[in-house]
Amino acid sequence: MANETKDEEMICGLTADERDGLMRGLNALPETMPPRAVWNRIREQAQAEGLIRTAVTQRPSTWVAGFAVAAAVVLAMTVLPRLMSTAGLDTQYTEPPALTNDIPVKVTALQALMVQSQQLESDLRTLPDEPKVMRASTVATLSDIEDAIAAIDFQLNESGVQMTPDERELFWRERVRLMKSLVRLRYAQAQRTAF
Amino acid sequence: MSKFADIQIDPAIVKRAARGDARAHEIIYRAFKTPVYSLCLRFTRAPAHAEDLVQETFIEIMRSISKFRGEAALGSWIRRIAVSKALMFLRSAWTARSQSLADDWDDVTPGNAVSHGISSHPDEALDLDAALANLPSVSRTVVWLHDVEGFTHKEIGKLMGRTESFSKSQLSRAYQRLRPMLSPMGDSVADENAALRSI
Repeated sequence: MANETKDEEMICGLTADERDGLMRGLNALPETMPPRAVWNRIREQAQAEGLIRTAVTQRPSTWVAGFAVAAAVVLAMTVLPRLMSTAGLDTQYTEPPALTNDIPVKVTALQALMVQSQQLESDLRTLPDEPKVMRASTVATLSDIEDAIAAIDFQLNESGVQMTPDERELFWRERVRLMKSLVRLRYAQAQRTAF
Repeated sequence: MSKFADIQIDPAIVKRAARGDARAHEIIYRAFKTPVYSLCLRFTRAPAHAEDLVQETFIEIMRSISKFRGEAALGSWIRRIAVSKALMFLRSAWTARSQSLADDWDDVTPGNAVSHGISSHPDEALDLDAALANLPSVSRTVVWLHDVEGFTHKEIGKLMGRTESFSKSQLSRAYQRLRPMLSPMGDSVADENAALRSI
């Protein structure tokens, strides 16, 4: 293994630091969420081929559970985004004006948003699986948020879309805001399930 | 390290999925949809193709999950299916253009390939993204499989129906193209991550 690594470095002509920097850079590139329509297409094909059995929709057993989820939805969709937009991103990544000119501030803010977005994706994956029983309103809210994220990802990845750095930063800022809402909602859901 | 490795699925969910439980499959889809789509998009650079490949990947998972014995991690198994589907697509694209894998490199003019319209932005991560997009699809795929997904040259050669040397050669040529931007990029990303962790 060590010999193979040495050979690769000789063949590829990179120093260990360059190689390390490249690998860190590649792993730091943001991920992209597919549009919700993809799951619908998969489900339809799977049903047509008889690969899946559609589960019978179940209702929550108590009104308490329903109330908790509804409260979490309201919290995630109203209070938290406002708090995050005013107290979170806007102040968290401000650079000292004396140290940098305008362009580096923009670069740093955008990089920070990309890294934060990646971290939120990672946080989302660490949450427990979704519960078997979910209220329709929760499913709809989750889907709406995911659709909005997918729409932003499409804009960010569409080769034909030309954006100014400010516009790009705006899209990334909105993506982070939506990802935070998604994580909060899924976290509330997980808490409710654990309870 | 590959994002697939970070995702854990309860074995009970996998068992339910093997019995055709739609809800279990949806859980698996939700857990892996982003890394699968990201990988397919990275290889194809076209959202429509990536979406088709995600569909093919998860349908294949549904067809064969009953054969999954849990000897390897579920994420590794799913990643292999996604990579296989994506390579099959690329191979068909190469075939359609009547090109060999080796010719692919010669087809590229710097700055000509799809770059998401971001190549002129000063941000280094975006520069890397654009530089990666400007690589020939074979080299880009080899770089991603080797440096992100952790495949060995031998495995990559086998996956692509080529030799280990072919994989090394593609990686080497890709590195030469990416090299000018390596030093500052790695440092700044590390610094950014450290700054974020300290908040």
